[in-house]
Amino acid sequence: MGLSGVRQFLWAASFSSTCVLLAVLLLRRRAASLSAFTFLIAFYVAKTLVLFSLAIHFSIRSRPYALTYWSLSYVDDAIQFAVFYELVKQVFCPTGVWARDTRRAFQWLVAASILLALGLAMLASPPTARWYETYLLRSNFFVSVLESGLFVGIMVLSSTVGLPWKTHAARVAQGFGACALTSMVLEGTRNYFGLGPGQRAYGVVAYIETVIYIGCMGFWIVSLWQEAPAPRELPDAMLMQIYTLQRRVENDLVRIRNWRRS
Amino acid sequence: MNLRSLLFVVLVGLVFAGLTGVVFRYALRTRRSSQATWEEILGRLAHLDREKIAAIALDAIDDSGRQNFMLEPDAIWSMLGGMEGMELLEKNCQVLIELATYVQRWHPEALVVAEQLRLNAREIEWHIGRLKGATSTGNLQSAFADYAQRAVATYYLMTRHVLELYEQVSFPELAQLKQAI
Repeated sequence: MGLSGVRQFLWAASFSSTCVLLAVLLLRRRAASLSAFTFLIAFYVAKTLVLFSLAIHFSIRSRPYALTYWSLSYVDDAIQFAVFYELVKQVFCPTGVWARDTRRAFQWLVAASILLALGLAMLASPPTARWYETYLLRSNFFVSVLESGLFVGIMVLSSTVGLPWKTHAARVAQGFGACALTSMVLEGTRNYFGLGPGQRAYGVVAYIETVIYIGCMGFWIVSLWQEAPAPRELPDAMLMQIYTLQRRVENDLVRIRNWRRS
Repeated sequence: MNLRSLLFVVLVGLVFAGLTGVVFRYALRTRRSSQATWEEILGRLAHLDREKIAAIALDAIDDSGRQNFMLEPDAIWSMLGGMEGMELLEKNCQVLIELATYVQRWHPEALVVAEQLRLNAREIEWHIGRLKGATSTGNLQSAFADYAQRAVATYYLMTRHVLELYEQVSFPELAQLKQAI
């Protein structure tokens, strides 16, 4: 298999924590509101099983393992963006449609994050022997910077416009944000040291990455196991009055928008 | 280490520090806001001269819907207390947004209406933002009357409705609320 004892232990720990998280999502019925996230965790379980069997039959330095590993990492990135979209929809579409005051800001956020990630990835010049290694290192770094920008951006945007997060969605986003930020530093380190002789830096980063992954799984297991605070009851009379208030404010706004100062 | 690598390390470090700083700042803000009670949020409303606000608003649109526009921009400016007054108005709008957020968080059945209130308060903020933009480009004179009066009138009508609402539900801190808005 070609793995050290510590690496095997970390692999087992990350696999079991992922399985526990999947069980929590299913048993506590979080999968309905977090379907993309649940799919991502199920994908992680399947990915580990596939890679583990390849490592046993071949070796972690074999070509089939490397090919599968890198292909699956791109699938992983694609699903992570689907999770991002799922979280964004829950926050910025509170009534089912996109909140009109956030649309443009969100487009700017995506554009700025892409530009930032692209700029930093272009600046990286990892010392590698083959062109595709450079591509792989840079693309991983690009994704981590992009995710960091997006997760931090939606946090700032939601706070600025006053849109609340649902408890579980907030926890998932916090975990992703923390992982993306640390991943940005780790992928940056990989791009700085590259795949030089012995690949020592790459291996050390892989250890740290696994430990952070396990920590993140632990955070999600605990926070998704707990129930969200129950909503408070609003008396029917007050609900009706709030509706009346909103209608009157909306009527006033229509009048004010149509003003023309001669 | 060549210049490009050095620049890469410095930029990654700066971006990481910047993003982490932003995360901590906004996490604290969100935490404070999510733990605040209804009364605490109301307590943040700044005092504005209600009579002057009403005079500016009613100059633009009275209860019968007639438009007057008798007040000159200079008069509106001094009645409001200049940009400082607009800043206070903006602060109060943020409180109104927080009130709407509170309703969205704790009373999901009133989600639609709370979202509308939030959007309306954001619209006032937008008018004030235009004024700030006009100040920085030196076009305040031409933009002031239009944006300021719209913002004040929207604020006035919105707060008047909020007060009516609380009068109906016999909110215990109504006197304090009336004084604040």
